[in-house]
Amino acid sequence: MKTTFVLFAALALATSAWAVDIGKPAPDFSATDINGKTIKLADYKGKIVVLESYNSDCPFCHNHYASGAMQELQRDLAAKNVVWLLVDSVSTRNFSYRTPEQARKEVADLKIAATAWIDDHPGELGHLYGMKTTPHAFVIAADGTLVYEGAMDDRPQPFGDPRTAKNYVRAAVDELLAGKPVTVSQTKPYGCGVHYAN
Amino acid sequence: MRHLAAIIVLLLTLAVGPVRAAHTEAKLLLSAAATVPGDVVLAGVQLKMEPGWHTYWKNPGDSGQATEIKWQLPPGVTAGEVQWPLPEKLPPADVTTYGYEDEVVLIVPLKLAANLPAGALNLVAKVSWLECKESCVPGSATVQATLLVGTETKASANAALFESWKAKLPQDINHFSLQAWWETAKGDQRPLNLGSPASGTDKNFKYDAVEFFPNTNDDYEVSANTEVLSAFSAELHLRKNVKKLSGDWPKEISGVLVVEQNKTRSGYEIKLPISDKAPAGGSVSAQPQPVQAGGTPAPLPQSLGRMLLFAFIGGIILNIMPCVLPVIALKILGFVSEAKSEPRRVRKLGLIYALGVLLSFLALAAGVIGVKAAGHHAGWGMQFGSPIFVVCLTTLVMLVALNLFGLFEVTLGGRALDTAGELAAKHGAAGAFFNGVLATILATPCTAPFLGAALGFAFAQNASVIVLIFLTVGLGLASPYILLSWNPAWLKFLPKPGAWMEKFKIAMGFPMLATVMWLFNVAASSYGRNVLWLGIFLVVVAFAAWIFGEFFQRGRQRKGVALAFVLILLASGYAFTLEKGLDWRAPIIETNAAGALKASGAGIDWQPWSPEAVAAARAAGRPVLVDFTASWCVTCNAIVKPALENNSVLAKLKVLNAVALLADYTRTPPAITEEIAKYGVAGVPLVLVYPKNPDLPPLVLPQPSPLQLPSGYSRTVLDALNRASQP
Repeated sequence: MKTTFVLFAALALATSAWAVDIGKPAPDFSATDINGKTIKLADYKGKIVVLESYNSDCPFCHNHYASGAMQELQRDLAAKNVVWLLVDSVSTRNFSYRTPEQARKEVADLKIAATAWIDDHPGELGHLYGMKTTPHAFVIAADGTLVYEGAMDDRPQPFGDPRTAKNYVRAAVDELLAGKPVTVSQTKPYGCGVHYAN
Repeated sequence: MRHLAAIIVLLLTLAVGPVRAAHTEAKLLLSAAATVPGDVVLAGVQLKMEPGWHTYWKNPGDSGQATEIKWQLPPGVTAGEVQWPLPEKLPPADVTTYGYEDEVVLIVPLKLAANLPAGALNLVAKVSWLECKESCVPGSATVQATLLVGTETKASANAALFESWKAKLPQDINHFSLQAWWETAKGDQRPLNLGSPASGTDKNFKYDAVEFFPNTNDDYEVSANTEVLSAFSAELHLRKNVKKLSGDWPKEISGVLVVEQNKTRSGYEIKLPISDKAPAGGSVSAQPQPVQAGGTPAPLPQSLGRMLLFAFIGGIILNIMPCVLPVIALKILGFVSEAKSEPRRVRKLGLIYALGVLLSFLALAAGVIGVKAAGHHAGWGMQFGSPIFVVCLTTLVMLVALNLFGLFEVTLGGRALDTAGELAAKHGAAGAFFNGVLATILATPCTAPFLGAALGFAFAQNASVIVLIFLTVGLGLASPYILLSWNPAWLKFLPKPGAWMEKFKIAMGFPMLATVMWLFNVAASSYGRNVLWLGIFLVVVAFAAWIFGEFFQRGRQRKGVALAFVLILLASGYAFTLEKGLDWRAPIIETNAAGALKASGAGIDWQPWSPEAVAAARAAGRPVLVDFTASWCVTCNAIVKPALENNSVLAKLKVLNAVALLADYTRTPPAITEEIAKYGVAGVPLVLVYPKNPDLPPLVLPQPSPLQLPSGYSRTVLDALNRASQP
């Protein structure tokens, strides 16, 4: 039994990517947003939180925003008191990196309606949650439990209208608000690889 | 009008010529320029990427998107499935993808209807892909080509290109007779094994790399990380981690097995049912094998014959390993005293010795089977991990030494024996049997060349194979004596029995005493400084042995008092030293895995071994040297340890920034037993060198031969470290 544990520990270490478990408390974090504000998961206790790994240069992300579908979802959920955090883990060495000014401009240009944009250029938050792609979505229930992890929707395409797809984040939040269990709790995320610093 | 024509020509050129997206150029190629109705023509979508850019395989991996081909074909032409050449595994490790760099030709067979009218066919495909370097760009192009259908077949100029890309397609045969099985799930993750039972063919060489690229599936993800447990061609074994996203655990796995040898990679399409249990009888398992309870033995791999040969040779070599040498002295003495006996009696004693060896090996085999049945891993020499066993053996070997010194006699009838000749005559049979048992017990902390492989093989098999291999090792160990017993003429060079034998017997007590010292040192690793109590116990036992010999066996009066005194001495000695002083059944558990070995190491900064330590060092891109050793392992301490604690090895480790990990098997912790079993050896010594490149499997160093000098083994270690430092 003990040896089995050692084995899994080794595997867990080797595949650092699968870092979080559905049904378990989502790991707390403390991060800084593009306005220099400290963002802690614990601060949003009692609210549903959506994390979205973000890089608008990635055609998959770009399509969600260029079509306006993502902002629409963000506004819909904000009206339901849901917190939406963009997690930008792009390394400063990558040309998709945004300085805080560029990021603030992008929020205005794209009319992004998220609660905050976390500047995670060291990749700590991304690695903590095992964010693999942009976009890669996480839904955390009001009690802090991770209830969904995976793709934004069932349409892994960098073009076309995302509104025609089944949006897993919207479905998970609606089910949470209706007090129902989340039907689809895990999917394979699609998109571009996160351009981490290491 | 002329302008219009020019525009049309320009448009045609654009349509027919290569279409360039940002960084990838797409073309449609055909294997034939002309063909006949009913034929199959190969179409190839050629993607040429700029340096650093890549497009994706059918399973893009953690990110990315597979290239898509949408055909617009004239009636009578049907496109088959895309055939994907073997992709590359692309970094980074935490977002691993499968794709192509520089160039790829995706091959699609086009089937022409038999009633297709003659003429030129325009074949059009819309190709869309995702190209990535430091960022990703979606690309798409409409490509087309013309095929003449008529009465003759003519290869196109690209026929050779097709041949070279066809050679890169995975082959559709399960060349390695792989099987797939699960380990126990933990939450939504579960290790998946892919392994082939040892086939024992002559193709048993080690691949430079082994990989598995899974097909894509929405219900589960297969980790990019591959743990290679065996890269030998005859018994491939690798392990992947599977994460379940929805539904039940998959019952089937499909993908491409990739093997690499001399920079040449080959792929094999596999599609396997996944069983819930490891296959029985194969040496492929990393898990304990349940012993088959009275059932039919599992089909044996063909290599059993070779392993039996190895077992026999290993058994013979054991005779010259330092462990068994003291017993050999006893045997020589036996032969000397028997030399003039009648041949029948000599043969009988030779056979009784062999019986002692074989029965002891049978007992060892039973022990191994029992340990395995209890769900644990068994290892050669594992009984030395028990401090109680070590204490008993130390006491026994000391008694043998004292017996050789003549302090007391071992008799069956309770009568003292006076001459050496009588000694041999009276307790010849029991002595021969005891020698056989002692030879076996003392042999276990040594592994010999060939023996490691045979035992490692045996430990993964069912009960009958374990018994067979163990008995064969025993036969090998006993064989020189059986041979000598049958040909006493070969013993002519030995001097005649006489008074010298008594002196020789005493002289032979000293190697035994040396063995006691070695065992004492083994006990020290379990009891620490308290081992002094064992020393005191040994003195009490020696004193009791002398009283027994002098006043009971050779005494003339009050023998009963002498015997009572001996018993009281032993009982009180046991109670005060072993029980009270040493608390011998509750040894001190050393918390520092490197233990005493680290303190005695001159230069190497040994860190305790653990799978996590290996993983952490590899993740940091450092080569790793692992020494699996034990204080009771003679080969480890006589050859491997001085070979590693050598200035050139030390310097090399520093230059390579390598991590040195010490796995202390002295008390046979299950984690180490399990790890050792993965490399197909039965026990220590085992030296592994993990290359700097974390995707490469560890190099398993050969076990040193008994006559090898440490300096020679140092060179083996240095070679391995040099290989490991290559990226």
